[in-house]
Amino acid sequence: MPMTPHTVPRAAAPATPSLTFAMAAGAPSAVGEARILLPLSVARDAVIDVRALLVHPMDTGFFRDAQGNPIPAYFVNAVTVTYGGEQVARFEWTSGISRDPYVRFPLRASREAPVQVVWKDNKGAEYHQSVDVKFA
Amino acid sequence: MGSEESVRDATGGDAGSAPGAADDRCAAPVGRRGFLRAGVLAAAGLAFVRPLFGETAAGRLGAGDGVRPTAPSGPDDEMTDAVRQVLKDKFGDRPITPGHVQLDIPTDAPDGRAVPTILDIDLPITATSYVATYHLLVDHNPDIALATYHLGPANGEGPIETRIKMRRTSYVRAIAEMNTGELWSAAVKVFVGLNGCG
Repeated sequence: MPMTPHTVPRAAAPATPSLTFAMAAGAPSAVGEARILLPLSVARDAVIDVRALLVHPMDTGFFRDAQGNPIPAYFVNAVTVTYGGEQVARFEWTSGISRDPYVRFPLRASREAPVQVVWKDNKGAEYHQSVDVKFA
Repeated sequence: MGSEESVRDATGGDAGSAPGAADDRCAAPVGRRGFLRAGVLAAAGLAFVRPLFGETAAGRLGAGDGVRPTAPSGPDDEMTDAVRQVLKDKFGDRPITPGHVQLDIPTDAPDGRAVPTILDIDLPITATSYVATYHLLVDHNPDIALATYHLGPANGEGPIETRIKMRRTSYVRAIAEMNTGELWSAAVKVFVGLNGCG
């Protein structure tokens, strides 16, 4: 099965190098930029891999910056996945997930409906992204 | 003769030193022979202890799956009390059986900031039997219970992939909780270079 991802809804912000997990110093400029990738062609009732990535620093709270000030904990702790309005998966994370958290999970493509992923971080911010499953 | 021998033993076999000039930096000086004897005893003790460590590590959580054969055993192989507490809080006294879970993670991770991790299970996923939750634990991380992934029958068969941080060399444990309540586990010892947690 060709796995070239094609459905890449992009936020208004331009793509940043941090999406390829660059360990740039300082916070990335586009915190909250999110992407969901689906396979190129989706057959009905096939199990597809959904890949979701969010740009987020995921600070543990144990590091200090160059001036010696502690960097407060700032990380995504809850992720929910809905498919056509129904919740199909829920992830509980800690700061032990790497910077720019990436997750790949299976999903049975039973109908043409949007897949929405919502990330919530420990400061209360929410980040949304969704993509439509279309049978080809 | 016998007394001379004991004196030489007590002074570390130094023939030039006078009797009674034992090294007073050490409260109980150990001669060369005594040292050698102690070494032999210690080696014998280690030879006895090592398989014991291996056995305990390979015991409850299937540690040893995926560990390279030359992996040195040591205190990291013992499950710490904190990990036991986390497991007790999560699962109580339910039995955790090694097997069926596949934990794909490099055994050598030079950069602890991002260790690619894949969780999978070799049981068939059906509407009545599926993985309800994957639990991911790292023994020596600040957050031992690193992540949980709640899934459902709508997900189907397939792996969960993510990237985790690791503080130092430690066991990574994956536990799959089926909707029927069964607990399957796998554990891999990962040698970490750079501390990714702070």
